Amino acid sequence: MFKFNKIYKEYDAPILGPISLDIKKNSFVSILGSSGAGKSTLLRLASDLIKPTSGSIEYANNEKPNIGFVFQDPTLLPWRTVIDNVLLPAELTSKNKKLSKEKAYFWLSKVGLEGKENSLPNQLSGGQKMRVSIARAMFQDCSLLLMDEPFAALDEVSRNKLEDDLLDIWKKNELTVLFVTHSVTEAVYLAQRVLVMSSNPGKILDDVIITEKRLRDDGQQSSEFFSKINYLTNILKKEKSE
Amino acid sequence: MIKRYLSFMAPIITFLLLLFAWELIVNFQNIPKYILPAPTDIFTSFLLNYSDLLRSTFITFRITFFAFMIASLLAIFIAILFSQSKIIELSLYPIAVIFQVTPVVAIAPLILIWVGLDNAEFAILILAVIVAFFPVLANTNLGIRSVEKNLSELFSLYEANRFQRLFKLQLPYALPFILTGMKTSIGLALIGSVVAEFVAGSGTSTGLAWRIIEAGNRLDVPKLFAALILLVVLGVILFLIMSLLEKILLKRWDIDKS
Ligand SMILES: Nc1ncnc2c1ncn2[C@@H]1O[C@H](COP(=O)(O)OP(=O)(O)OP(=O)(O)O)[C@@H](O)[C@H]1O
Ligand SMILES: [Mg+2]
Repeated sequence: MFKFNKIYKEYDAPILGPISLDIKKNSFVSILGSSGAGKSTLLRLASDLIKPTSGSIEYANNEKPNIGFVFQDPTLLPWRTVIDNVLLPAELTSKNKKLSKEKAYFWLSKVGLEGKENSLPNQLSGGQKMRVSIARAMFQDCSLLLMDEPFAALDEVSRNKLEDDLLDIWKKNELTVLFVTHSVTEAVYLAQRVLVMSSNPGKILDDVIITEKRLRDDGQQSSEFFSKINYLTNILKKEKSE
Repeated sequence: MIKRYLSFMAPIITFLLLLFAWELIVNFQNIPKYILPAPTDIFTSFLLNYSDLLRSTFITFRITFFAFMIASLLAIFIAILFSQSKIIELSLYPIAVIFQVTPVVAIAPLILIWVGLDNAEFAILILAVIVAFFPVLANTNLGIRSVEKNLSELFSLYEANRFQRLFKLQLPYALPFILTGMKTSIGLALIGSVVAEFVAGSGTSTGLAWRIIEAGNRLDVPKLFAALILLVVLGVILFLIMSLLEKILLKRWDIDKS
């Protein structure tokens, strides 16, 4: 899908780098790392919203894909109703012009906001706003989906449901997902590959492949699942104490 | 309920009591009308001169309203230009500031000469526009600049063009700021048109300012007061209309202006 070649990012101080990465098409990659490690910055770089100080990003076929982005904040236009917020990408991007209104309604009901379509963002709770933002990203036909702690503000039941919905979408479509989270379990449950970032400056500390998938309903979780979780938790702990 | 009723009635009752005290003092102290007329004298004078006074009120209102509209539209337009090009902003903003800091009385004679003394009303309009212009410009400019960075990023993500960004993000975001500017500006437009008419003096215009000068020259203080009161009422009504408009338009907006 895309490659990072020795990327560095500096603001006043070095924030990130060097980072070299190869994200395969149709893969699902989770990113873990302590607060301030540069995870959001990494997603912004991947979406071309900010430019690296040095190094380069190479998209496959030298063409920027249609990118869906769930930002860490809901990022809604306060004067637009929920449905009009979801429809925004269709109004702005020519690639998204042909998306139908039905699809927007479908996604709103999928994230559990049926009946809230004509509410304004300030009438919603924090978690509900976040779900509008998720619906907006899913509404687009993107081929690269960047998600920055999308489910952090949700209760566990909705969260598990949306995780499974996301996996379902990802399996059925040509979709590459980069998923930032603070939950090790979530990272391992969702992804085929987990990147662990260290901070000051942000680097990729570890790159773990998850092969065996757990089924949420089946009580017999594989030992691989738990050993990966333990392994990753230990790395994060160690990184913190250094 | 009672509280609401009180907050509505209290100022009215206070006002009536003050009028009453005023009336009593003037009558018992035998203060001459040309120093301080009693409220009843003012009212009588208004009844005697109402056609003159209302016509003048209308003329002042008309100039104020057009000056306000022209100033607002022009200011918003220029603020949009500023948002599109840093060079335009850097070159024009100082000029706007110069207009803002120059007292309107000081440039009034010049404008009068340029447009001709027999075009006094046009000169007054121009002067009122100059006075009313700046708050809308400054606030619109501020509003467009205040657009949250993450919303701006969202529009970059969707590859929005300039126009989409302007009409779907920057102007809607700036609306509360624009309305704040317009609320200040409508009062200034009134002040501008009155001050300019004072300076224009004996020209062809016959707004409320002229009625005040005229009544003053003739020591017809009751009429002077009547004109003054109409001026205040006009100002308050204009401000209330703007506040109401703001309230209606901003129902949906929930932006932190701090
Ligand atoms: N625009 C900016 N200007 C200056 N510094 C910035 C900017 N954006 C981010 N940073 C810095 O970059 C570092 C990484 O920020 P980033 O938001 O990527 O962290 P994060 O890993 O997403 O953290 P969190 O888990 O808390 O969201 C932080 O130290 C932050 O202060
Ligand atoms: Mg972040």
